[in-house]
Amino acid sequence: MATTMRASSLDFSRRSLWTQLGALPWGLILLICAMAMIGVAILHSATFTNPEEAGLPIRHATRFGVALGVLLVAGLVPLKWWFWAAWPSYLATLVLLVAVEFFGFTGGGAQRWVQIGPVGVQPSEFMKVTLTLALAAYYHKRWNDFSGGFVIHLPALALIALPAALIFRQPDFGTTLALFASGGMMIFLAGLWWRVIMAIGVAAVASIPAIYFFVLQDYQRERVDTYVAQLTGQSVNVMDDGYQIEQAKIAIGSGGWTGKGYMEGTQSQLDYIPEQHTDFILTVLAEEFGFLVTSGVLILWMVILGLGLAIALRAASLFARFAAAGAVATVAFYILFNVAMVLGLVPVVGVPLPLLSYGGTVMITTAGCFGLICAAHLGRNEPLNTGA
Amino acid sequence: MSGKRPIDGLFNRRALIAAGGGGAVFGGLIARLFQLQIMEHERFEVAAAENGVRLDLAPPQRGRILDRFGRPLAAHRQAGRVSIVREQTNDLPGLMAELSRHLDISPERQTRLISDARRQASFQPVTVKSELSYEDFSRLSVLAPSLPGLQVEMASTRSYPRGRDFAHVLGYVAKASEMDLERLSEGANAQERAAVRRLFKHPDMRTGRSGVERSAEDWLRGEAGFRKLETNAAGRIIREFDDPTLAPKPGRDLYLTVDAELQKFAIDRFGVESGAAVVLDIETGDILAFVSTPAFDPNDFVNGISSADYAVLRDDVEYSPLYHKAYDGTYPPGSTFKMVVAAAALEAGVIDPNERIYCPGHYRFGNNTWHCWKKRGHGSVNMHWALKGSCDVYFYEIARRMGIETLADMGKRFGFGQRWELGLTGGRSGVMPNDAWKRAARGEPWYEGETLNIGIGQGQVASTPLQLAVMSARIAAEGKIITPRIIGEGPRPDSDIPFDAPLDAAIMQRMKAAMYGVTSEAGGTALRSGDLGLGGPRLAGKTGTSQVRRISAAERATGILKGENIDRRLRDHALFVAYAPHDDPKYAISVVVEHGEGGSKAAAPVARDIMAEAMRIDARRTPSYIRTAATGGGTSGGAR
Repeated sequence: MATTMRASSLDFSRRSLWTQLGALPWGLILLICAMAMIGVAILHSATFTNPEEAGLPIRHATRFGVALGVLLVAGLVPLKWWFWAAWPSYLATLVLLVAVEFFGFTGGGAQRWVQIGPVGVQPSEFMKVTLTLALAAYYHKRWNDFSGGFVIHLPALALIALPAALIFRQPDFGTTLALFASGGMMIFLAGLWWRVIMAIGVAAVASIPAIYFFVLQDYQRERVDTYVAQLTGQSVNVMDDGYQIEQAKIAIGSGGWTGKGYMEGTQSQLDYIPEQHTDFILTVLAEEFGFLVTSGVLILWMVILGLGLAIALRAASLFARFAAAGAVATVAFYILFNVAMVLGLVPVVGVPLPLLSYGGTVMITTAGCFGLICAAHLGRNEPLNTGA
Repeated sequence: MSGKRPIDGLFNRRALIAAGGGGAVFGGLIARLFQLQIMEHERFEVAAAENGVRLDLAPPQRGRILDRFGRPLAAHRQAGRVSIVREQTNDLPGLMAELSRHLDISPERQTRLISDARRQASFQPVTVKSELSYEDFSRLSVLAPSLPGLQVEMASTRSYPRGRDFAHVLGYVAKASEMDLERLSEGANAQERAAVRRLFKHPDMRTGRSGVERSAEDWLRGEAGFRKLETNAAGRIIREFDDPTLAPKPGRDLYLTVDAELQKFAIDRFGVESGAAVVLDIETGDILAFVSTPAFDPNDFVNGISSADYAVLRDDVEYSPLYHKAYDGTYPPGSTFKMVVAAAALEAGVIDPNERIYCPGHYRFGNNTWHCWKKRGHGSVNMHWALKGSCDVYFYEIARRMGIETLADMGKRFGFGQRWELGLTGGRSGVMPNDAWKRAARGEPWYEGETLNIGIGQGQVASTPLQLAVMSARIAAEGKIITPRIIGEGPRPDSDIPFDAPLDAAIMQRMKAAMYGVTSEAGGTALRSGDLGLGGPRLAGKTGTSQVRRISAAERATGILKGENIDRRLRDHALFVAYAPHDDPKYAISVVVEHGEGGSKAAAPVARDIMAEAMRIDARRTPSYIRTAATGGGTSGGAR
């Protein structure tokens, strides 16, 4: 182990830090910066009527500055280090999740936080990155031990289900879904048989009633009810749960092709929409800039995710491929679920829009994911056949 | 690394499938966006236009004013109110006609209200009637939904539960006039001015016009907030958002040092007389009662007093109910001033307290004759006897000996000629005349003969009942500095003159002994008022009569007109200053009974009864505003 450490630091110093920096996927990083700046601009519009929220755009920019630092540092970390860290970090996060169960404190109605020294952290957010790492390391190492078949995926499923169960208990339905979605995507990439996928799909649909009645909490059930009601066009009680989604639809729909103009959105400026600077930030964009710009922002996201996926496809090692693809899937899940939620297509589950929503946690998770993608880019030629 | 299976191919194939799937979902979302933003655009555009969030200004709840034991002197009362809002109706006269079928509104007032509503900003409600009866309120509430533009609501109104008892101290609140607005926005920029105007034009908003209500305006007012209301296209309120960040911040409560029960007792004791009384706590300087009677009811002013009612108050010059006699009223102190004169003479060394001066009933100086109130004269008296018998001749003599400047200096050290800053509106300094004052005020030098008048507290010397109470408190405390105060917990009055004028304790002890003599020894002028009816403790005091008119030699010859024989307005004021208990003074008092004629006859019994009541109540029980602080101290002490 000691010798490999020295080898890797040698490896690191062989190519200077500047060369490494220059080799980062700068096109991708610049697009990410552009997306964050769009976020600052929309936040300015969303918050400027309320003096109590006056500092939010600046803080958003500051947070992005920090996140960018995290991204670059994480990107420059040699891929080998990521690989070694995969299992320890997964286990550590799991321990933290158990700690939340026993010692955690409550924030925003759910028990998600645990105190480490002076800072409160949300282990469930770490898990999004460390699960990706663990699954990537798992498939990287075990690929040749199985001659194909279904059995290889069972431990992977366990890796997902263990933290997912703990997070579901907090309760945090959004993150649970996110873990299953991005982890499931990695299992899919690892070649899970189609007939198994079909079977799971059928089983999932069949279990919806059971989940609805026995697993969901009351407030989660209400959200689903509201969602179904507004989707089927029933008159929702606009005073209660349906209010937010109804107001969001009015804001988006009244935007038209080109929107009402920057800081001119009546819905947004009059504070109709709760959470409009966090989860519902897209409503401000849609109302003030209209369909063209909003779909443009979505397309920009597709480009960013596409670039990330391209890195995954070009990497030599299975670890790099799975890690980068898993990171892309994690961010993609955020975006797709958030947009679908704001557009009234899925129930309101608190999922923010990366780089656009105001919020520190999602910013750092996003930075971690893209940092991992950058590391996979820099280490794309490394075979990583350690101990295999 | 290529394993046994062609992983790259599988991974790439699956990744492209996933990318395709993801792209398809993105495409679906964009399609949904297109559906909402383009296909259903019109529907949502209409919905957005119909949506309206209104921020209605919400005035803050004004802080209460409480007495020393936390009894409310100024508080709040809920009252029904009906108003009209121009922007919610397009038939203002029709609405008014309909409304007048349910409420008694004169045609002139109807026209007036309509023109008011047209002149004001369209969203600004115009109050038709406040203080609705319960029946009217419920009937109009039922009616309101069917009459757009009609607004019926409960509103919080300032109320003064003790009515006229504290009229002059508290003052009153009223709707802000243009003058008030000018004053309230002094030094503000254009934007702040607009905000002040907007707030004070709100029908529930009041501002202090006088008294504590005015001087402690900033303390009491609180901060305005907003009610966030969602309305539909018709302007009807659909719901109210609960937004604590927008809620108005209530003003702070303010404690006075006064005791509401003692105040009430004192006012009742005055009966139909007009006058003033001040009760001071000697140790703390707390004003326990600050009476000026008759008074007005400040409740009448809150919603605007009618000009006829106001004229009645304003034009009553004989009883002047609007006037704060205890703080703004200045009276020649009369014989109550004799302790000041005696103290000045002793300190200046112009007389020995045992020296006897002969009083034949009059005093000649130059070509004039000054009279003693006792026509037959007091005979030969020393200082003690001169004070308790209130011999004028004795004081003419010692005043002449020391001269006006020495006398005026002592008067100023007692607080005469100086306004006590209490943090209330009003307050007069009175006059402690000397040569410089007269040259400035009249352009004439001081004449020695005038000094004689000042020697018995007549002439140009003028004092407020508050100054007289402070004087007797300082004598009782044997010279200790006493600064009167009436704000127990509230904005500190900013007095720029620190009052620092010590008095000689030995001299004050002599004065105390003489004041005891007045009420309790043979030859005293107020023997009947010394007994407080409490067993041991007695009252020590000094009578005084304050001349309202000059008595001519002819009248003096035929007998000075008194009582029924003379118009009330020409009768002398009766004064009395006192402290009690005589052996361990706790309270000091001054009483002025306007046109009461004799200090011993009219003022002393009133002072005695108020003092006895003060002793019975023992207002020194810890005040509420101290109690909270004391409890805190006790807890920390217990923890030690």
